[in-house]
Amino acid sequence: MLTLIKLMQSLVGALHSEGRPGQLAAGIVLGSFLGLTPLVNLHNAVIFAALVLLNVSFAGGLLGWAVFVPVGFLLDPLFDWIGHSLLLAPSLRGLWTSLSNTPIIPLTNFNNTVVLGSLVFAMVFALPLFFATRLGVVRYRATIGERVRQSKWYRAIMASKAYNVYKLFRP
Amino acid sequence: MSPPVKIFRWRAVGPLLVLFVIVCGLWWLFADRIARRESQNVGTQLLGAKVEIQSMHLDLAHGDVTIRGLTVASPHEAFKNLFQADELGKIGIDSLDPRRLSTIPAADALGARADSSRHAWQTAVDTLHLGPTLDSASATLERLRHARATDLGTINAGRQAVDRLKRARDRVTSLERNVTQGTANLKSGLAGLDSARRRDYAFARSLLKLPSLDAPAIGAAVFGPGAIKPFEQVLYYAQLARRYMPPGLLPRATTGPSRVRRAGEDVRFPKERTLPGFLLRSAELSFLLQPATAQPQRYAGRLTGLTSDPALYGRPTALVASGPQLAAGAMLNHVRDIPVDTAGATVGGIRLTPFAVTGVPLRLDPGAATTQLGFNLNGDTIHARFAIRSSNVRWTRDSGFANSPIGDLIWRAVSGIANLDVEARLSGALQHPDLAVRSNLDDAIASRLRAVLGDQVAAAEKQMRDRVDALVDATVGPVRARVNEVQTQARAQVVQQRARIDELQKNLEQRLRQLLGGVRLP
Repeated sequence: MLTLIKLMQSLVGALHSEGRPGQLAAGIVLGSFLGLTPLVNLHNAVIFAALVLLNVSFAGGLLGWAVFVPVGFLLDPLFDWIGHSLLLAPSLRGLWTSLSNTPIIPLTNFNNTVVLGSLVFAMVFALPLFFATRLGVVRYRATIGERVRQSKWYRAIMASKAYNVYKLFRP
Repeated sequence: MSPPVKIFRWRAVGPLLVLFVIVCGLWWLFADRIARRESQNVGTQLLGAKVEIQSMHLDLAHGDVTIRGLTVASPHEAFKNLFQADELGKIGIDSLDPRRLSTIPAADALGARADSSRHAWQTAVDTLHLGPTLDSASATLERLRHARATDLGTINAGRQAVDRLKRARDRVTSLERNVTQGTANLKSGLAGLDSARRRDYAFARSLLKLPSLDAPAIGAAVFGPGAIKPFEQVLYYAQLARRYMPPGLLPRATTGPSRVRRAGEDVRFPKERTLPGFLLRSAELSFLLQPATAQPQRYAGRLTGLTSDPALYGRPTALVASGPQLAAGAMLNHVRDIPVDTAGATVGGIRLTPFAVTGVPLRLDPGAATTQLGFNLNGDTIHARFAIRSSNVRWTRDSGFANSPIGDLIWRAVSGIANLDVEARLSGALQHPDLAVRSNLDDAIASRLRAVLGDQVAAAEKQMRDRVDALVDATVGPVRARVNEVQTQARAQVVQQRARIDELQKNLEQRLRQLLGGVRLP
C-alpha cells in the first residue's frame, strides 16, 4: 500500500512539477531502462548515475522503473529471443568477440541473451516512449492538470514528508 | 523567453557518493557470504552434485580466495542403472494386448488396399467397353462368313473390326500391366504381414521375460548392471569436461545466472591469439597415507594444461596419477573441433563390495581385485573397456533359493570357481553404444541354466507364438484369402478378355485371308 501511495505521489509530483515535459519524459525513459533490463548490471549503474546527475525528472525515473519492471518480466521471452538472435548471428560474431575482449565491456553482461535483448529493446523503445510521454504530459497539463492541482487529495499527497525528499531531486 | 535548462544536477553528486560508500560498506560486510553462496550454486550447477562450502574469504587486495570446508556429493548415487536384467523364469502371457500387436492393423490396412484394388480394377475393366467392340466384331465376322470376295464393303468392315480389336487388346495389355503391378504390391503386403508377425513374436517374448540362455547374454545380465557404472562415471566427467572446455572457437552458450528474471543464456566469444579465460598450466599434488607405518603409501598426481579455452591454449589437458597399485592417466584433447578424450587406469588391491548376482541365487564377494579401465571418446564415438580380475572370490548362497533345484545346479556350477575375470566393452555411437560383457562364469552358468530351463523356455516360446497366432490369424486369414481372391479374379478377368479378343481377331483375319486369297487391298 505504501509503495502504491509513493508511486502515486511520484506520478502526481512529476506531472505537476515545474519540470518541462521533456525532462519528465527523459526521466521516464531512463527509468524504463532500469525496469526493462535485469537490474544488477553495469549499464544500469550508468543509467542510475545519469538519472541522478542529469537534470531530468527523478520522479519520472522512479515512475518509469516501477511501470516497466512488470513489462520486463512479461517480455523476457522476447528479450531472450532477440538476444539469442543477435549474439549468435554469424555476421555479428566479430563485433561481439571484439567487445568481449574489450576491458570493462564484459562487466555489462552484454553476452547474456536477456540482458542484450532487453537493452536493445529499451534503446529502440526509448525514442517512441520519449515523444509519446512528452506529448501526454503536455496534453495533461493543458487539460485536467490545473483541476487536479486544486483538488484536496493532491494537496494531501503533496503535504507528506516523502515529498520533501522528492523535492531534492526534482528538476 | 524561458531560462536555459541546466543539464547537470550538481547537488546530486553528494547523495550519489554517499550511496557509493554504502555499497562499498555492504560489499565489505556481505561479499564473503554472497561469494560463498554463489560458489555453492555454481559448483552444484557445474558438477550436477551438491557442493557445500563452510566458509569463503575474498581478499581482493592480494588476489586471494580462501575456501574452507569444501564438500562435494557424489553425482552418481542417484543414477539409475542403464541396464536392468529381467527376472529369470517368470512366464506370464496374459498381459499380451491385441491392440499392441502390429500385425492386426497391418492386415486391416492390407484388406482395405485389396478392396480398393478390386474396385479400381473392376472400374478399369468396365471402362474398357469391350462388349460393344466384341459384339460388333462378332457381327462383322458373321457377315464375312456369308460374304463374297467382291463384297468390298463387308471386307473393309472386317478390316476395321480387326483394327478395333487391336486397339482393345492394347487397352487390355495396359490394364494387365496395372494388375500385375498391383498384385505385386499386394504380395509384398502379404510378406509385410509375415514380418509384422515376427515383430509381434519378439514383442510377446519381451513380455514373457524369458531369460536368454546364451553365454554372452548371461554375462550381460549378471555383470552388466555393475559394469555399466564405471562407464557412466567416466562419461559423466568427459561430458562435463566438454561442456566447460569446449573445443574449437565457436561461440559457446551456457545457462545464464540464476535470478528472479529469466536467466537467458551467457554466450562466450573466444578469440584467436588471446589468453584463455582460465588456465591452470600445471598443478601437482602428493600425499602420504599411513605415514607412521613401515611402508607409507605415497600418492602423487600431476595436472597440466587445464583451461577453459583449449583451442586458445593449443595443448591438451593431461592428468597423471600414481601410487601403490595405482596407475592412471588421462588426456583431454579439445584443441581441434572434434574433441578426443582418452583415459586409462589400473587400480589394484581394491576390496569391492559383495553383491547379489542378478537373476542368480548367489552373492559374490570379489575380494581384493584389480580393476582396469580404458576409455576413448573420439567425437561422439566411444570405445571403452572395463575389467575386474580377482583370484580369491567367495560365493554365498541366497537363502531364498535354499531348496531350489536351479539354485543347487548353479551353486554347484560356480561355487568351486575361485577366479573372477570380467570384461565389459562399450563401443559405438555415444547415443546408442553397444555393451558387451564377458566373464569366466558365463559358460558355467549358461550351461546349467540351459539344462534346467531350456525346455521350459522352448515351451513358453511355443505358447507365446500360439497365443499371437490365435490373436492374429482371426484377422490375417480372411485378409490373406481376400487378397488372393482379388488377385486371381483380376488376372482371370484380364485373361478372359484377352482370349476373347484374340479369338475374334484370329477368326476375322482368317476369314479375310480366305476371301481375298492372298491379295492385299489398299
